[in-house]
Amino acid sequence: MKKFAIGLYVAITAVLMAWGFYQAIYVAPDEQTMHEVQRIFYYHVPSAMIAFLFFAISLAGSICFLALRRSHPERAQASDAWALAGAEVGVVFCTVVLITGPLWGHRVWWGGGDWGHGTWWTWDPRLTTTLVLWLIYVSYLLLRRFAAGPQVQALAAVLNIFGALDVPIVYMSNRWWRGAHPGPVFGGGPDSGIHDPAMMHAFCWNIAAWLAWGLLLLALRYHIERQQQSFAAQQAQEAIEA
Amino acid sequence: MDTKAILDHQFTVAAYAITWVIQLGYLAWLGLRWRAQKSKAARSARNPR
Repeated sequence: MKKFAIGLYVAITAVLMAWGFYQAIYVAPDEQTMHEVQRIFYYHVPSAMIAFLFFAISLAGSICFLALRRSHPERAQASDAWALAGAEVGVVFCTVVLITGPLWGHRVWWGGGDWGHGTWWTWDPRLTTTLVLWLIYVSYLLLRRFAAGPQVQALAAVLNIFGALDVPIVYMSNRWWRGAHPGPVFGGGPDSGIHDPAMMHAFCWNIAAWLAWGLLLLALRYHIERQQQSFAAQQAQEAIEA
Repeated sequence: MDTKAILDHQFTVAAYAITWVIQLGYLAWLGLRWRAQKSKAARSARNPR
């Protein structure tokens, strides 16, 4: 039954991914000023939204770990596994954002009449805060990977909590400061939003598809971490008995 | 097609392809880790200390 449910979920995810791709490439109309390159939007923005969601899951995991580590050690370990899985999958999505964004930006920023001579990167507030967010979570993963000792999980949880403070700053950066990055898609005033229904449909399908994909990766990463924890606990027990 | 349209197309293809390479690469890496973990656990169960 469990295998069937997993298989069904994977199949639904694959169909959603194919449908999202079809919507983005073949159904959504060309944007009037940016034309075809604007279709990067359908992968770039959902990836950013899902990265934020997974960093929030990671934050919740770290808070639960710190709260439960003395009273409920087993639950704390599970929370820590969610924190690690959320951070790692979040970094994967954030990497996609940081690569697809400059590819899009290079074609449209300061192009004017001189297409092809755009800029790959600018220290715009949205770009800079996103890069800082990525660096914080990469440092969290490096700490988890290379540091040793009984306090590593607690130290990483504290880093995660401080790192997550950057998420609302990234989200608000193009509202608080003017920069080269486009304005917010949602909640940015009367001019924000997608006005063409076909574009909106393509966007929503891609959010659903990438969310399904991300949750699959998250569950797999969590499962691996729990296996690792169980193996480490078993090894420690055997060492004590020996 | 003019040069601008060709470049737009190439950049769009590159963005989509890179996204898939990153995502599928990560999935493959998770798969390898899962397999390694399973074989390590099986080895440990066969040869307890």
